[in-house]
Amino acid sequence: MSTEGRPILEVHDLVRHFGGVKAVDGVSFEVQRGTITGLIGPNGAGKSTALNVIGGFVPPGGGRIVFDGEDVTGWPMHRLARRGLVRTFQLARVFGGLTSIENLMVAAPEQRGETVLGVLAGAPYWGAQERDLLARSRDMMRSFGMEVKADEPARNLSGGQKRAVETMRALMTKPKLLLLDEPMAGLSPSLSRQLEDLFLQLAADGMTLLLVEHELDTVDRLCSKVIVMAQGKVLSEGKMSELRARKEVQDAYVIG
Amino acid sequence: MEFYLIVLLVYLGTDLLAAWGLNLEFGVAGVANLAFILTIAAGAYAFVVFTLGPSAAAGNFQQYVGGFSMPFPVAVAAGGVAGAVVGVLIGITGLKRLRQDYQAVAMLVVSLMAATVVSADTPFLNGNAGLVVLPNYKPFGDQDPEVQRWLYVAIVGVVCVAGYYVLRKFTRGPIGRTLRAVRDDEFAAAAIGKNVVTSRLWVQAVGGAFGGLSGALLVAFIGGWSPGTWAYVETLALLTAVIVGGMGNDLGVSIGTFLIAILLLQGVQFLPQIPGHIGLKEDLGWIVLGVMTIAFIWLRPRGMVPERRPKYGGGS
Repeated sequence: MSTEGRPILEVHDLVRHFGGVKAVDGVSFEVQRGTITGLIGPNGAGKSTALNVIGGFVPPGGGRIVFDGEDVTGWPMHRLARRGLVRTFQLARVFGGLTSIENLMVAAPEQRGETVLGVLAGAPYWGAQERDLLARSRDMMRSFGMEVKADEPARNLSGGQKRAVETMRALMTKPKLLLLDEPMAGLSPSLSRQLEDLFLQLAADGMTLLLVEHELDTVDRLCSKVIVMAQGKVLSEGKMSELRARKEVQDAYVIG
Repeated sequence: MEFYLIVLLVYLGTDLLAAWGLNLEFGVAGVANLAFILTIAAGAYAFVVFTLGPSAAAGNFQQYVGGFSMPFPVAVAAGGVAGAVVGVLIGITGLKRLRQDYQAVAMLVVSLMAATVVSADTPFLNGNAGLVVLPNYKPFGDQDPEVQRWLYVAIVGVVCVAGYYVLRKFTRGPIGRTLRAVRDDEFAAAAIGKNVVTSRLWVQAVGGAFGGLSGALLVAFIGGWSPGTWAYVETLALLTAVIVGGMGNDLGVSIGTFLIAILLLQGVQFLPQIPGHIGLKEDLGWIVLGVMTIAFIWLRPRGMVPERRPKYGGGS
């Protein structure tokens, strides 16, 4: 059966409680292929928790997640990532002991040098693939304007640079669906605008993006569909311009 | 004096193998395996059990399982395999769910429990008295004892060279990079598709094999092994060698091993006894070791020879 017509992500009645706190309380939505969907809402609305459950970082308490036509509910992160569902973190996580460019290189899927055969056979077996990987990583660093930091240990980078490295690293996995948790936080305005253009380009090329973002103007420019969450539930969804006019959305932001 | 040089060389070789294994686990892959000494003990016991004949033989003064009367190379290999198996078992106890700091505690507890069990269960590995391959152990036939000892140094040297060659395959290249990524942030590593548990269990197997070979080669030389030989502090000595030398750096860890395991802990043997305080100089060695660990963690956390990463340059 072709999965082309179906949404790439279907979330059905997702639940996640922490003790008595209903962080995610019966959330359902769909994400269409090749689109950028925004997930917004006041602090504590459950956006990040929803992203954490979808990305496999936190197991769901209930509900169903269908990714690319397959029920992936409860799958661990690494398995989702290999299937093409990749996430970034709210606080950027880099591999501090590796250089920036190594942070990118390490993310490439199916590296020959990671296999038992590759370890035993050595560089003749994986050298060519490694050179391609280096070239691809350099291109990516350049497109983010970070080529001068290529050999810098990632632990020495600024907060914004770490976030950029994390985003590049996620892109190196060639995801089908990229979950981004506040990708613009801490970035300079110019890099932030550059990143917006890149996201639009990626979506035009067929990648799907789901992002949690606080800056509503960014959401307005990027997202063809926006889902508003408050107190663990989906409050409303639609285009940003329509949502701004709705009373329940305004109320949620004032109260939240 | 020449005999003492031989002893130090064999100790250096076996300590290097062990420190390399622990560095692969802790320095490269981030598993604070405080039960590493168990892999060394497993290698040593396996060597003895594979070398000796059946326990039930007439006139045997020790009790143990197995007893296979195998030649030296087979017994050493058995030690490596036993170390790998025990390494994986240690890994399974801690790696599945626990956070890194809890893993370390869980492994320390496993280490203490194992020592207690082996001490108490005499029929398993002769309990507290330990096992000896002497008095009739002659792996190289009836040669001159001095030639035999130098031959043994050469064997340890060959295993070390081969071990270092294998080690470098795991610490460099794409696999070394992936393991270091898992060490630096296991969640971020999982988020890009790395199977953290599987890679760490592999590392436990390889690191454990190094520990097992170390134990086998050591016991063949010193002739016996008892629970007193593998207190958990032995793991701490290796851990200090890794931290002082430079976590994740094979060369640094080799230097650290020479400094800590040989220069410090063996060096104190050459000091005169402090009058009225017999045994104090050995304790002083351990005190210096503890102070050095703390000093390096505070002042130079990446060790004497810090981990180095390849420079690719930003060029085209």
